[in-house]
Amino acid sequence: MKKVNPIIVKETLYIACWSVIFSMIMQSVFLLIKKWDYTVLLGNVLSLVAGVGNFFLLGLTVQKAVTKEEKDAKQFMKLSQVARLFTLFVICVLGAVLRCFNIIATVLPLLFPRISIMLRPLFNKKSNGGGQDE
Amino acid sequence: MEIAIGIILGCCALGAGTAMIAGIGPGIGEGNAVAAACQAIGRQPESKGSVTTTMLMGCAIAETTGLYALVIAILLIFVAPNLLVNILLAAV
Repeated sequence: MKKVNPIIVKETLYIACWSVIFSMIMQSVFLLIKKWDYTVLLGNVLSLVAGVGNFFLLGLTVQKAVTKEEKDAKQFMKLSQVARLFTLFVICVLGAVLRCFNIIATVLPLLFPRISIMLRPLFNKKSNGGGQDE
Repeated sequence: MEIAIGIILGCCALGAGTAMIAGIGPGIGEGNAVAAACQAIGRQPESKGSVTTTMLMGCAIAETTGLYALVIAILLIFVAPNLLVNILLAAV
């Protein structure tokens, strides 16, 4: 088995950390509006694992695709995207059909990785300390 | 009443199907991004690390468009029909 690129591991950990933080915030909101029960927690865990796993698989796909020829890489990415989207669809359907998962808590955490990526420039700017101006 | 409920269910299904058209775009976009990255790495092999990181983030952002569509489709299939039918029944 080919070794996983350290960049992918690092980025996945970053996404996972932020997703956990956002999940905690979501759980708190459910608690505040008095709609929290075990289904919210289970749905959140399922979706969190799916979202972070999806990002990790995307990283693995990218790692493998950059070693291929241009046309093959294109096809490989398309195929991988369809497969991952279908997996997420199945997970969402499970969250909606099974009574042990809350649908809102299952669907919302799938969007957390995007929010984490959007927040990234803010923290990078702070850590750079405006050194880009020079 | 049955016709109204049927129209609601049909429109929800149509809406979900239409929303999933957005799932096609990210695949094409990611494919193009990776093809361009392959070219870039071919020209400058030493920049492989930075190209991979940037592309990974770009692909993740591109993929979210498909996820939005998926979320909307799931909500239209599983949540909206009950909600709308309940509103209709309450109104009647």
